[in-house]
Order: sequence, then structure tokens, then C-alpha cells
Amino acid sequence: MKRLIFLLIISCLLVTANAQKYMTKTGFIGFFSHTPMEDVKGDNNQVASVLDISTGEFVFQVLIKSFHFDRALMEEHFNENYMESDKFPKSSFKGKIINLSSVDFKKNGTYEVAVEGDLTIHDVTNKINTKGTVEVVSGGINADSKFNIVPEDYKINIPGVVREKIAKNLEVTVTMKYTPLATK
Amino acid sequence: MKPFVKVALFVIFFIAVAGILAALYFYNLKPQDLQKVKPHFVITATDLQKSFEENEKASSEKYINKIIEVSGEIISVKPGEKNSLNISLKTGSDFSAVICTFPTVSDTTFFKTGNQITLRGVCSGFLLDVLLNNCAVIENTK
Repeated sequence: MKRLIFLLIISCLLVTANAQKYMTKTGFIGFFSHTPMEDVKGDNNQVASVLDISTGEFVFQVLIKSFHFDRALMEEHFNENYMESDKFPKSSFKGKIINLSSVDFKKNGTYEVAVEGDLTIHDVTNKINTKGTVEVVSGGINADSKFNIVPEDYKINIPGVVREKIAKNLEVTVTMKYTPLATK
Repeated sequence: MKPFVKVALFVIFFIAVAGILAALYFYNLKPQDLQKVKPHFVITATDLQKSFEENEKASSEKYINKIIEVSGEIISVKPGEKNSLNISLKTGSDFSAVICTFPTVSDTTFFKTGNQITLRGVCSGFLLDVLLNNCAVIENTK
């Protein structure tokens, strides 16, 4: 159902596309956990995202199973024990650039932005306020952000035995390379 | 020391070492190299996308976490973060493709738009496109 809504939004965007909407299907979201015992990182290069530069609104969607780890066992634990990706296959963020006026999308350059929105992981939604950069380049827009999340905020239970191996705060990195949504 | 105690100590020592080795082995296990394992399904990109488009639930149950050998025409090649590479394969839909992610690629010129490719990947599901991960090339022809 969610996918249908997402598709509907996108088909609406397609109809009205006039270089106001930017999109990527291969964005990057990664997370990193550092503890003295172990470093864990998961990378996802299959993030779908749409950015509307007229309103500053944007949407991200990812499949949990698209996160990739260096070790097979980490990937298995991540999917089965923590994220329960069979039950909750998707994660999303719906947000907005608050200081949209400080970005000149007509002029190439790097702009600092503040964003806020709702992050849904493991079927739990929390408000996120963070900072990022928007880089206007020829033929596209690059967006980057880094923020921290706490697994327990999303009802992700990490048993005591391994709790020491996973950081209390996970660092999330977002790197998007948007291109204009072409009119068909 | 009695011979019985000696044997018992030896057995305990052996089990402990074997246990530690097994634990280390499982801990360090890398993701599978898909070039070396048999796929669960062999299908064209068009049929795979169509299957998800028509019935996402049934297709998810059938394909997710399975190794799929998929073939099709490359319509886009995009470098990702940390030496990864994403390629999209043509399907029957203009808007929805099969996106295949390679974890590390040293020579990106190997993949060219228009090439016919056969590759294996693990299906992680359907977002707007069918997504395959941890891909390995089987065949790549112009």
C-alpha cells in the first residue's frame, strides 16, 4: 500500500515535472557503530529518494535487506534479530529543508541546510532534526547529511551479551546524487 | 597422573580449541561469492520485474533472500559509494528496472550501456525497482 502511494506521488510528479523535482534510485545510506570491542558498518546503495526544490520536501525509502555488511553473520543478525526485516522490510524518511531560502538552486555551490522530518525504522516513527549540505552542480544536486540515532528509540532490542559491541549512538551517513526527474 | 585423566584433559583441550576455531570461522565468514554458488532461479530481467509488478507479495516470498541469475540489457551504470557500482537492467516497464549492486568494482568501464549481461545477485525485494545485492558477473557481451 505504501509503495502504491509512493508510486502515485511519483507519477503525479512525473506529470508536473518541470525541473522542480529531482530523483535518485541509487542513493547511499550507511550506518557506523564504533565500540572498543568492535566496529560495525552497514551500507545501502539502493536508496530511492525524491527532492522537490520548490517546496524543499523530500522522501527517502530503503529496503532493510539492501544493507550490506563485511561479515555474513552481522548481516544475518541485523536482519533477523534486530531489524526483523521480514516483518518490517522498509524504512523511510519524510522531511523538509527548513531554511530553503538560503539555497539558490540556480547557482552552483554548496549550501548549509537544516532539515526536519519523520524517520520510520522498525515500524517506529521519530522526529529527526539535523543539518546537512546541498551542493548544486551542473545537471544535478548532491545532498549529504550525518546524524545519530539510538537503536532503543526504534524499539530495537539488543541483548545484553552483545550490547557492549554496538554503540549507544549509531552514526548515519546520507549521500545522494540527484538528477532532474525527466518528463516522459 | 592416571591415563584416564590424561585422556580426559586432552579431549577437553581438543574440544575447546575446536570450539574457538569454529567460532572464529563463523565470525569471519564473508558474504558468499555468488560466482561459485548455484542460483536458486534463472530468469530474465523483464520477467523478474513483471513478477513483482503483478504480485509483490507472492514474488517477495518466492525471491527475497534467494540467489537469482538474471539476464538483460544494461540501461544505466552509476558508481556508488566506496567503490560499489549500480547497474540497471531494462525491463518491460519504463519506470521500474532491475537494479543490481556490486560491492566492489575496480574497472567500471567493463560495464557499458547497451551490453547484454548475465549476473547473479541476492534479491532484497521491490522498492520502485527490483533490487539485487552482492552481485557477481557471469557473462557480459556487447
